[in-house]
Amino acid sequence: MNTLAASSPERSEQDVLTALQATVSASRLSLFLQCRLKFYFRYVLKLKKPKTASLHLGNAVHAVLKAWNKARWVQQPLSLKVVHETYQTAWADNTEGSVAWEPGEEEADKTTGWRLLDTYLRESHLPAAIKPDAVEVPVEADLQQHGLPRLIGILDLVQQRQIIDYKTSATTPNADKVSHTTEIQTCSYAILYRHNTGAQEAGMQLHHLVKLKNPKVVITTLPPMSPGQETRLFRQMEAYLEGLQRRDFIPSPGMHCSSCEFFNECRLWS
Amino acid sequence: MAIKLSANYSKKLGLPQYSSHSFSASVEVELNDITQVEAEVQKLYQLLQQSVDQEIQQPGFVPTANTNGNSRPAPQQKGRAQPVNGSGHPSAPPNADRWNCTDGQRGFILRIVNENPGITKQVAEELSQQLFGIGVKQLNKMQASQLIEDLLVLAGKPTPRQTRWQQQPTNAQAA
Ligand code: SF4
Repeated sequence: MNTLAASSPERSEQDVLTALQATVSASRLSLFLQCRLKFYFRYVLKLKKPKTASLHLGNAVHAVLKAWNKARWVQQPLSLKVVHETYQTAWADNTEGSVAWEPGEEEADKTTGWRLLDTYLRESHLPAAIKPDAVEVPVEADLQQHGLPRLIGILDLVQQRQIIDYKTSATTPNADKVSHTTEIQTCSYAILYRHNTGAQEAGMQLHHLVKLKNPKVVITTLPPMSPGQETRLFRQMEAYLEGLQRRDFIPSPGMHCSSCEFFNECRLWS
Repeated sequence: MAIKLSANYSKKLGLPQYSSHSFSASVEVELNDITQVEAEVQKLYQLLQQSVDQEIQQPGFVPTANTNGNSRPAPQQKGRAQPVNGSGHPSAPPNADRWNCTDGQRGFILRIVNENPGITKQVAEELSQQLFGIGVKQLNKMQASQLIEDLLVLAGKPTPRQTRWQQQPTNAQAA
């Protein structure tokens, strides 16, 4: 579970597809259902694209929240100074690639990330006295008995049987919409939680750190996954399997294309 | 006229490997007066619950990961949803040699301990107690996975940073 298989560059496309059929994550499934061609470019052809600024910011914020949650778990809460140092280190981490910053953009984004963290921690959304059940834990669920692939994922934070997921966002999320748009992710996490603990989650929370001029935190609370939602997810996974089987990688043009890094490649598709 | 009162109490408990067992007990009594019903129900409820609770603590045969050939639920029709038992599975009956996590996780933990002189079984046990308040063998799969992550960090071999946040399509990005 905790070893990551290195992907060999010589793997044939069929090998890659076989591996993708054996294991699925919420992000792979969501992308496949959003645009199969984009999925193909990213996960089958593995076309490399520069890291985006928002991804860099999200990773740095996430690294700090992970350190902060781990520290409070062992009752050694981090001082603001250490939190800041952790952020500086996380920001300087370019192991996943570097961003092609415009002049002045990096400093502005770095400040934005810090202000998000400062706001989140200052508002004490997670009281120090409550211990986490898990922090950024990789988990998997064998769904073979349903004729489905192995589901994998990482839970950002579990606390009092609540599954908590962190997100940075440019806009203020709407609770109803966000519960719908994140359903694949939240239901995947619920399945992972249930398979790995033998218990049902108490509910789920999305903690959005919103990148406004005055940063704010929006917490969306969701109930436990319903049987109907589980069925929806399993059907979506079936569609994923069948699509890969048929090598169905057609483009799905729409609003989402405005942020697609494979726009140029897509225009050449026929 | 005699009044018949039937009471039934049943309880279902989860067991490891997604099994469960249940037990129910029934009793029928005759009352002379309808005013006795309330007190009698209370008495019977307590009696039946106590009796069921006492017996259900004996789980009998408990499947292990290795006996899944006979004990796992039958494969479901493809894609058919089968909700996981929401009531939560209690810990298995005490058994000093039994691990609650998977065999793979058990092997991984033991390998970390064997291959890293600084990480003894005691270190792993103490970390488990510190994080979860229980010993390594009692950890469920999620807790074992967390322990493995933390032991690898202690060993100076953290797992590579995950890349699940890469290139999210919307302006909402997992942090
Ligand atoms: S540009 Fe749009 S249609 Fe083309 S691959 Fe990207 S998301 Fe899909």
